[in-house]
Amino acid sequence: MPKSLLIISRQSPWSGINAKEALDIVLAGGAFDLPIGLLFMDDGVFQLVPEQKAAAVQQKNLTANLQALSLFGVEDLFACGHSLSVRGISPAGLAVDDVEPLSAEDIRTLIDRYDQVITL
Amino acid sequence: MSTLHVLSHSPFSDTRLDSCLRILGRGDALLLCGDAVYALQQQSSTLEDKTVFALEEDLQARNIECPQWAVAIDYPAFVDLSIQYDKVNSWL
Amino acid sequence: MKFAIALYSAAHAPSSRRALRFAEAALAGGHEIVRLFFYQDGVHSASSNIVTPQDEQDLAQQWSTFVSNNQLDGVVCIAAALRRGVLNNDEAARYQRPAVNLQAPWELSGLGQLHDAIQSADRLICFGGP
Repeated sequence: MPKSLLIISRQSPWSGINAKEALDIVLAGGAFDLPIGLLFMDDGVFQLVPEQKAAAVQQKNLTANLQALSLFGVEDLFACGHSLSVRGISPAGLAVDDVEPLSAEDIRTLIDRYDQVITL
Repeated sequence: MSTLHVLSHSPFSDTRLDSCLRILGRGDALLLCGDAVYALQQQSSTLEDKTVFALEEDLQARNIECPQWAVAIDYPAFVDLSIQYDKVNSWL
Repeated sequence: MKFAIALYSAAHAPSSRRALRFAEAALAGGHEIVRLFFYQDGVHSASSNIVTPQDEQDLAQQWSTFVSNNQLDGVVCIAAALRRGVLNNDEAARYQRPAVNLQAPWELSGLGQLHDAIQSADRLICFGGP
């Protein structure tokens, strides 16, 4: 049984390459068919806001990469409900499908379920 | 399953500790290092009922006394803790 | 116990020093380090072109010596390194850049090496930030 890895992504897509480099770990793990989960927390939930215009700041669109996660076999996507709520983001209209909002209690259980965690 | 959460940002200028405390489980522990040891200076600490470790060298560097409810540790003890807990989650 | 150690900060960050002290303590305690993986700004902790004032700790040098002396597997993420101008001979030649700042014992490789280390280790320990 391969070890499972949870990535907790806490940075906004516009704060530098942190969010992208966190996502790269996820994509690499998916490419190796490893069990990977991705939890958006704190400013990381800003990655899930729809209709962002990366071109306005001459950046590449991270949303497209997030939407492609299922093609890499990464289907365990979660968002911290508290982080969404305090930032006024509705879990209903996120840019990425099938992201499961979690309570603090759920997140505790989620971390327990994975073998290793990286919080970026 | 238990997790050792490692923090190194000052709680006075950063929200990592708040987020960590929100999801901290009963069997989990905090290891404060670097500027995160300033959390021990907070007037009304929310940490007293938690399992808290602090890196001794960072306490010394900052002239912070380790409160009774926390445990000051060195690097060999840090290594032991990382084994004692099932996983280590560093809030980078 | 087998440790995989990942570093995400540059040599001047306190967390780089903390990672090194942890790694030393792990070996001293009889444990094994299956790989050191330097990612994000951690690639700067492997740079061979850092010049530190004489009365300050030269962490990049200490890392290099530590890896050599203990014959450890020290891997620097190639994508993160290229982006930050940390290049070995091959990459400097490939991209026609004037300077080389990554040498043995460090190797450039991909993120697969991080996953591989996680799979073969009992614990993954990450260091980064301040």
